[in-house]
Amino acid sequence: MSHPARRLATSHAAALSMALGAMLVSSDLAANERPDFTGVWGVYREPGQAGGGFGFGAPETLPLRPEAQAKIDEYNALVAPAQDTPGGFCLGTGMPGSMLGSGGYPMEIVQHEDIIVVIYEAHGEIRHIHIGNRAPEEDLFPDRNGYSVGRWEGDKLIVETTHLKEAVDQRRYPHSDQARIVEEYELITNDDASKVLVANMTMTDPVFYTEPITAEKKWSFLPGVRLLPYECNEPTWEEYLDSLREQAAE
Amino acid sequence: MKRLMILLLAAVLVPGITLAHHSASRFDLSVRDNEVSGIVKVFEVANPHTKIVLEITNEKGTRDVEFEGHSRNNYYRSGWRIGMVEPGDRVTLVAAPTRDGSDGGYALGVITEDGTRF
Repeated sequence: MSHPARRLATSHAAALSMALGAMLVSSDLAANERPDFTGVWGVYREPGQAGGGFGFGAPETLPLRPEAQAKIDEYNALVAPAQDTPGGFCLGTGMPGSMLGSGGYPMEIVQHEDIIVVIYEAHGEIRHIHIGNRAPEEDLFPDRNGYSVGRWEGDKLIVETTHLKEAVDQRRYPHSDQARIVEEYELITNDDASKVLVANMTMTDPVFYTEPITAEKKWSFLPGVRLLPYECNEPTWEEYLDSLREQAAE
Repeated sequence: MKRLMILLLAAVLVPGITLAHHSASRFDLSVRDNEVSGIVKVFEVANPHTKIVLEITNEKGTRDVEFEGHSRNNYYRSGWRIGMVEPGDRVTLVAAPTRDGSDGGYALGVITEDGTRF
């Protein structure tokens, strides 16, 4: 026979669980009622504006800590003579640049109930947003685009990204490996039935910044547009093969 | 001097480094109407940037000049298709010049002999 206190605790836990369940049901939508982000999206341009490459609302001066500024200055001094960039070496930007900028190239979203895949055409960067099935901590490692988990809050998709590598080479928003990025995605349908995807990003990084960084990014739905491959190292490989052939012929 | 030698040696030993593309900040992208014509020697449409070499003849003489251009994906979306430009063709580039005034530039657009633009 179970202990009365344990029965009471179990009863309270069950009630709490039911209450939480009810809250979740009331704040969430059924899977078939959620907005569908699937498709190809391009940079949204406000009427009369050139485009939102790095998102709107971006601060002019970043609230960087002195130690972070020193790291960035050291990096900038290194690459300044040849004006090198990661992209020039066929390396993707990583978050948040892949989402906010991506060179103005389109992105494709493939949405499933348990996972959302985002493919940025530039450098073929891919993000997997795991819905309700987070991998164990010991299975995760740092990456330029980090590890993303998502959840639905009504018709908004909330994505949290962690496990990022330190990235002083991000042109707009450099960050440490302690950065945490939260994106809120919302689908808006205009009066003319055109679809706009809006993301509000907040990046907190106590190692690099004294306060959170926020930015807004918008995309327009591009029906009929296909994402193109972005193989970038092929000329380098072919030139290398040519050099091997020249050496073999000597 | 030692550092320069190391860089030159690396460029010789590691072919990939010689191909590394740089940022477009060495070009004056505010200049959008500068046209340069020449005979195509190389027209390699690629990502992240296209490599174009033109034989140019002007007051400086005749020489090969290398230009950087948009990515293959961007040229495709602006109308470029395979075979549209071949070595030996005469083309005109709408090219942002280099900031230091040296030969070369960033090909914002291409005009082929028959007037096709991409």
